[in-house]
Amino acid sequence: MAEPILRLENVSKAFGGLKAVNQVSFDVSEGEIVGLIGPNGAGKTTVFNLISGYDPPTEGSISFNGCEISGRKPYELAAVGIGRTFQIVKPFAGLSVLDNVTVASYLRYPAQRDARRKAREVLEFIGMGDRADMPAAGLTLAGRKRLEIGKALALEPKLILLDEVVAGLNPTEADQTVQLILSIRKSGVTTLIVEHIMRVIMGISHRVVVLNYGSLIAQGAPEEVARNPQVIEAYLGESK
Amino acid sequence: MPDTVWKKCVVVAGLAVFLLSFPLLVRDAFLLRLFTEALMWIGLAITWDLIAGYIGYLNFGHGVFFGFGAYTTTILFTKANLPFALSLAIGGGVAALAALIIGWPVLRLRGAYFAIATWAFGRAIMQLALVLDVTGGPDGMRLPPFLNPHFFAYVMLALVGATYIVLWVLLERAPFGLKLKAIREDESGSLAIGLNPAKLKLQALVLSAAPAGLIGGVYAYWITFIDPSSVFGDLVTDQAVVMAVFGGLGTLIGPAIGAVFFLTFKTYFWAYLSDFQVLYLIILGVAIAACVVFLPDGIWGAVTRRQEGRRALRKGLSLNQRAAAPPAHPSAAGTSVRPSVRPRDGEEE
Amino acid sequence: MLTLLPQAIIDGLLLGGIYLTVSIGFSLAYGVLHIIDFAVGEWIMLGAFLGLYLTAWTGWDAMLFLPAVFVVFAVVGWFTQPLIQRVTSGAKGRPVLMALVFTFGLALTFRGAAQTVFGIFTHSLPTELAAGSWYWELGPFMMTVPLVRLAGLVYALAITVGLTYLLKRTDLGLAIRAVAQHKDAAGLMGVNIQRTNAVVYSLYVGISAMTGVFIGAIISLNSGMGPDLSLFAFFVVVLAGMGYLPGVPWASFLLGLIQSFFLIFFNPSWTLLAVFTVLFLILLVSPTGLFRKGV
Repeated sequence: MAEPILRLENVSKAFGGLKAVNQVSFDVSEGEIVGLIGPNGAGKTTVFNLISGYDPPTEGSISFNGCEISGRKPYELAAVGIGRTFQIVKPFAGLSVLDNVTVASYLRYPAQRDARRKAREVLEFIGMGDRADMPAAGLTLAGRKRLEIGKALALEPKLILLDEVVAGLNPTEADQTVQLILSIRKSGVTTLIVEHIMRVIMGISHRVVVLNYGSLIAQGAPEEVARNPQVIEAYLGESK
Repeated sequence: MPDTVWKKCVVVAGLAVFLLSFPLLVRDAFLLRLFTEALMWIGLAITWDLIAGYIGYLNFGHGVFFGFGAYTTTILFTKANLPFALSLAIGGGVAALAALIIGWPVLRLRGAYFAIATWAFGRAIMQLALVLDVTGGPDGMRLPPFLNPHFFAYVMLALVGATYIVLWVLLERAPFGLKLKAIREDESGSLAIGLNPAKLKLQALVLSAAPAGLIGGVYAYWITFIDPSSVFGDLVTDQAVVMAVFGGLGTLIGPAIGAVFFLTFKTYFWAYLSDFQVLYLIILGVAIAACVVFLPDGIWGAVTRRQEGRRALRKGLSLNQRAAAPPAHPSAAGTSVRPSVRPRDGEEE
Repeated sequence: MLTLLPQAIIDGLLLGGIYLTVSIGFSLAYGVLHIIDFAVGEWIMLGAFLGLYLTAWTGWDAMLFLPAVFVVFAVVGWFTQPLIQRVTSGAKGRPVLMALVFTFGLALTFRGAAQTVFGIFTHSLPTELAAGSWYWELGPFMMTVPLVRLAGLVYALAITVGLTYLLKRTDLGLAIRAVAQHKDAAGLMGVNIQRTNAVVYSLYVGISAMTGVFIGAIISLNSGMGPDLSLFAFFVVVLAGMGYLPGVPWASFLLGLIQSFFLIFFNPSWTLLAVFTVLFLILLVSPTGLFRKGV
């Protein structure tokens, strides 16, 4: 196995008395797609917020490419090479689709002309080249989720965190997004993905990490994890 | 496209010629005064809008920067006997420094705090100017008169013209403007794409304060008398707010138009109704409130929206026509009818 | 100088009571409507003038008109709130910003109108209470408690207790708290948001106007008094933590103490500066207020 690009060691996060994430440790290796799953409220989005710097962890260490990053600010982490999307999408609604991606491109391309070119490239890559001049507010949910991915890609990240980019899409749109995720990986970006739709996550992940009530209960290849009795219980206990 | 670019060049060149020749052609002292004052208010309105329209923060203490410039320049010029240009430059610097000091704690917080803190700052500084000795307290300060209205018209023109151009390049052409807009649209989301909102907002505030301070310094020398209420008073900020809101937030041209329009109105209103100066406060207030309710994008916003609407309508019609003939134009149909049919082509590139 | 210390503390507490009434309605309105009303000081000023005209007309004691002033301004607030609502829900993109600009415009209008109609002179509201005061000596210390100021403090505490009761013990209070916490969810649960907002706003305007009567009786009133009162209200809510009601009394009394100490021991004209400096330091050290509970 390659050197891990991201390593979480005994990471915890408490909000007041509530432990949202409890002693979680896992690695993500370069070039992998790792799925992060778990029932509602398991702490997946909190883990994303910890990795991307939106919340500092209460304890534990997070390292990226061998450097400690816990407690660093989100914009510093973007510069280091971590891009993320939001479950509740955050488009810059008043700006055009192209401007949305351009403003993210400034990180690597400070000159206006270069940033524009990069943004157009990204829009072509995510299949939104034809909607560049639309206001972001006018996009459908699928468009907004795709734009989120575009903004993260414009940062030229080494690691991208995708938070529920498939959920809520119709089957055709979902397929397109899955294709997009696969092509992101092909371009050499390591991917950590939170997703509710099992079919998607089991299909594309090399490894799966399962959280339940903030604790890690299993990790491994998708088929192994799917057979793990604790995982089955976590999910069956919740619904179905 | 090149057609509109060409048209724009003609308009800009025409405007430049007009502005440069106006003070020479005009014999009427009243009109020249109006010209200089209009430039001053354009400068104050656009620098206020840099914070309000581009970042979405309301600076209700903008007049403080104007006042800092005016007082610093006056004190250095009259008491320390420094040359005017140097006094003015330091005045601008002090205004920028004030922006740094007030902005640093407050800009990290949500917009409501900023509005309150800047407003409180303005009133506190006015109080300070009233009690200090060096400012002359409520009696204000006099400057040696320099009776050359053309000098002031051109200095103001150079100053405000340079401010306008710098802001236009930074906000409309350089990455800076788009970054600020991103913060305005979603501050927390802007963190994830590598922006440091606290730093950018502070830069913007300094950028808005320095020209306001310089304008204040020139104003002091031009009018030859300043006191706390005339340069630190609410009216400076209030008028800048009205002009920017009335003209249209989030653009440079809107507040500039608003400034010219409102100043002209005020000047004639003042001339005819000089007994009822308090009425002016009512008019300012009603104008602000009414603009927010009925004209939220200002006059400039209303005009451009109309044009855009017409353009979009035309474009929409042509798209529909193409979509109506599917086999010949599959891509056009794809864009207008089902936005997400096409992405696969993109991924293969 | 030290002999004045107890007096300074008493004055500060009495003054704090005034600021408490200035700020509590305002803080409630911010907590529920999420709008900073720049007109807060102007409502107080207008209430004071209504009290002045009513007493001049009837010759009765100003305190008798408290209920009338409250009712009149509650009605005014009830009809003003939909306008603000329209701004916050109608303006695309930046509703909060636009609402701020709107109330700023309202404040200017009120101030201008008051200066036009009422003139710029300072008045005082006549009340029987103004004549009386308690005075006592304790060794070297001398203390005076003007009855009218004491009445102001009692009024402030009564309003605070009343509002607390309303919020904690009544159905209306439950609805208000629900809207404050999550507007959309409260709406889904069947709370009439429009009506709740209007009730809160009219309560706030009514309380502010009544406060005006007290301030007119205790200090004085003139058509330009609004901005300073707004400033004090802002100061208190920022100090308390924006939208955090339990912090308001403490912040008010602190403000009162700062002011009375400056009046007695330092130069009174530096008061506003001192107040601002404290505000600045608080924002620097603990941006969410003294109790770190603001939003």
